[in-house]
Amino acid sequence: MSLNREQLLEYAKKQVNTEDVRREDYENVIYLLDHCQITVPAENRFFVDVNCNGIQREIYRERCALFQPLWEEHGLMPGIRGGAFAGDHDFGHTCAHWESVLSLGIFGLWKRVGEYAKQAGDHARKQEFYTQLDAVYQGAFRFLKRAADSARAVGKHEMAESLEYLTTDAPRTMYEAMQTVIVYYVLQQMFDGSPLRTVGRLDKLFAPYYSSDRRAETEALMLDFLAELDRLKADANMPFALGGTDAQGNCLVNELSYLILNCYRKSNTTNVKFHILCSRNTPEELVLGGLDAVREGKNSIVFLSDEKVIESLVKIGAAPEDAVNYHVVGCYECGAEGEITCSCNAKVNIPKALELTLTDGVDLLTGERIVPARGADFASFEDLYASFTDTLRDLCRGAMKATDLIEANYHRIHASPFFTSTYPSALEKGGDLYADQTAKYNNSSVNGIGLATAVDSLVAIRKLVYEDGTLTLSELLEILKTDWAGKEPLRLLIQNRFPKFGNAKPDVDAFAGDIVDVMHGEISGKPNAKGGVYRLGLFSINWRWAFGAKTAASADGRRKGDPISQNTGASFGAHREGATAHLTSLCAIDSSKTPNGAIVDLDLHSSSVKGSNGLKTMYATLKTFFEKGGFSVHYNVLNTEVLKAAKADPSAYPNLQVRLCGWNVLFANLSDREKDEFIARSMKG
Amino acid sequence: MTGLISGIKRMEIHDGDGCRTTVFFKGCPLRCLWCHNPESISFAPQVAFFREKCMGCSLCVGQRTEKTAENCPTCAQIFYGRTVEAEALVSELAQDEDYFRNSGGGVTLSGGECLMQGDFAVEVARLLKERGISVFVDTCGYVKREILERIVPYTDRFLYDIKAIDPAVHRRCTGRENGLILENLAFLSERGCDVEIRYPLVKDYNDGECDKIGAFLQGMKGISKIKVLQYHSFAASRYEALGMENTLPRVVTTPQDVAQAVEILQSYGLPAVNGISED
Repeated sequence: MSLNREQLLEYAKKQVNTEDVRREDYENVIYLLDHCQITVPAENRFFVDVNCNGIQREIYRERCALFQPLWEEHGLMPGIRGGAFAGDHDFGHTCAHWESVLSLGIFGLWKRVGEYAKQAGDHARKQEFYTQLDAVYQGAFRFLKRAADSARAVGKHEMAESLEYLTTDAPRTMYEAMQTVIVYYVLQQMFDGSPLRTVGRLDKLFAPYYSSDRRAETEALMLDFLAELDRLKADANMPFALGGTDAQGNCLVNELSYLILNCYRKSNTTNVKFHILCSRNTPEELVLGGLDAVREGKNSIVFLSDEKVIESLVKIGAAPEDAVNYHVVGCYECGAEGEITCSCNAKVNIPKALELTLTDGVDLLTGERIVPARGADFASFEDLYASFTDTLRDLCRGAMKATDLIEANYHRIHASPFFTSTYPSALEKGGDLYADQTAKYNNSSVNGIGLATAVDSLVAIRKLVYEDGTLTLSELLEILKTDWAGKEPLRLLIQNRFPKFGNAKPDVDAFAGDIVDVMHGEISGKPNAKGGVYRLGLFSINWRWAFGAKTAASADGRRKGDPISQNTGASFGAHREGATAHLTSLCAIDSSKTPNGAIVDLDLHSSSVKGSNGLKTMYATLKTFFEKGGFSVHYNVLNTEVLKAAKADPSAYPNLQVRLCGWNVLFANLSDREKDEFIARSMKG
Repeated sequence: MTGLISGIKRMEIHDGDGCRTTVFFKGCPLRCLWCHNPESISFAPQVAFFREKCMGCSLCVGQRTEKTAENCPTCAQIFYGRTVEAEALVSELAQDEDYFRNSGGGVTLSGGECLMQGDFAVEVARLLKERGISVFVDTCGYVKREILERIVPYTDRFLYDIKAIDPAVHRRCTGRENGLILENLAFLSERGCDVEIRYPLVKDYNDGECDKIGAFLQGMKGISKIKVLQYHSFAASRYEALGMENTLPRVVTTPQDVAQAVEILQSYGLPAVNGISED
């Protein structure tokens, strides 16, 4: 009997007492499998739709809320309220062990549970786990049979027969492999409730099912597959990856890489994005194809440096063979094979650390003390900078503490049967990935946000107070307190004329490098509450708006409440010397210290990338950046005239996409303020 | 050795192969009516004043100097005419060395007329070459032969403007006759230099010169490309800001005009390309 969403939620909510979360969640998942409503969208070729997405997520959010009062008890609330730092659970940003999923299939994943159970002997707690997991898979088979019946009832025989087959053996054909990916996605995302943030390296995963003589047939399948992925409407887009290298350093690009790229270019998806993993031996043709797609307006491709990603993962303790087979588990952040990254656990507001340095630890906006007083009368800029780094370390510790308080209770918050069943380490250890923390690497992450805003502000303070003597520090603080009231010429002078990060000025860029070193020293490799370590990242996504809203005016000319800088790049409009200078500045950062991602958004005007020389230049720029140690690049190729026209008449440009922060959005869906920001960016590009 | 420049533009794709940085030298012997770099005409430093950007803060106390321009909060004042040491300039340009190498790009000396600051231009070109950086020289050709001779060894390609063949037309459009320009072009050709011709097409001014240009260049060796550039009047606000008389022709050169000129030049067997679409 199928139930509506409210009824399903009502059942699940009975199980929020947190005493035996694994049993409760596995039972919930079985209930959802047996009682969810199944619909078969007419356009779907591979799988059905269900009505239980987000239910288990509501459950774990309720359970998390039970532990959030711990932040108050530990004195963290002034910092969290003030937007100085944050730290919480992250059950998303996961990557299934896709090699297991594809090579074994849903049936094989179940069978493997049984094999581990046999080896575990009479270990009671382990056997309880295998029995629970077996029951979930029995539920999955009942659900798949129900799905097959529903598909057959509407005449979808290809889907129905293949689904039935997949309950008996591993995929053999490209169609079955694609179906397995989507079925698994639905099982983890919609039933487990652990958001799945990549469908993996598709060129590598699908290679065993491909042969050149089936090119046309594969293309047709791939277009349908991408369209169906798109319709799953994953939050912040559904990523996949192409390229990369194997443990011997061999390039993994194959015929399918090009086929997938070309299909992506032909498809009209708005909710699928992908990553090209660029190594020194990645064929130029693949990268050029990706860049050419970007020029055409397919802004959702991110280019990552394979070598830098691997180096950064090894640095935090991943075995080289796991690091090389990494996955991008979201927008830009990477995790080794077998790693739980929790890439969006925690964040630190870097400009806020500078605000607190000037105020001796008190939040200018809330008036609350966030860090201990350590004096704010600085005889030299060096004294001020030293105090700033101490405050920044305080905020890093606050973010990790807030995270630890929640993560120490994962065993009382969430369990994830399907996700768990794909990880060999979890089967070996005999427990759930979250409730029993059985991943090979149980890591957590902290992102530093507003790096450029902080650097530009430090440089402005040094110049105004300690070099030119234009103002005293207390006069400057008064100006920031009053949000530049009556000081507009000074504000604009600083904003438009002072040196800024992003212009290849070594004495400015050095601050960025040093701040990252300070954060790396405080965060990277430090133990978390799950037996793993912390990882540093430098992406801001849309948090820069939320943190900016809680940050007073800053010395770089930014007004109170305005957003802080985006990702790892220059402040808005501050990179006046063009893309090469912007990238050169980024290279002041040692990105082997940022496994959780360091991303620059390059806004290029369409006229600056036109023609064959434009494409050649884009390629050379990317290649050079990676040679010099860059981590990843994302492009927005913008045409001012087109954006202006689309703002004036959205209906005329229904498909115009821009990359908002880590994902793509339709330009028509942005607020006027955001549209204006893109228009202004296009003129600078 | 020092020189005077009006600006530097990095990651330029319109001035030749690959990713290039263009240095705009200050000062030009010609007065092309359609000049789109009016800030590079005078040999003296200048401050441009963009009235519409002025917020009336009075920080400049009504003055227009290098200092007041640097401190103008809204960039209503812009200073053109930085004095630079050749070695310092080359170090600055070399920041993008790796980008040049990977793209087959380099530095383009432009202006103004870079060869009017002959010793400085030669020194910059020599230092760039020493570092293995490709050098293009963008010239109007109205320069001393001796300077051309000296810069040839350090130049990978000349971007050479031909605006008209008829001396009267040339004088009307640029204020100078073109004898020296055509002779210098012949010299570079004879010397075996790589020369890319730039023909800025201005409707009703020099579009009638197309056939003559074709005939003149026919058979000339070393001409790797002839790029027909579409005239635009985007520079109008800068003439006003610099307090210069706006000489920009009030005509429109259409993409069709450019395409037609390309066709005519091609009919002379010349490697003409359309500057709008590039390829």
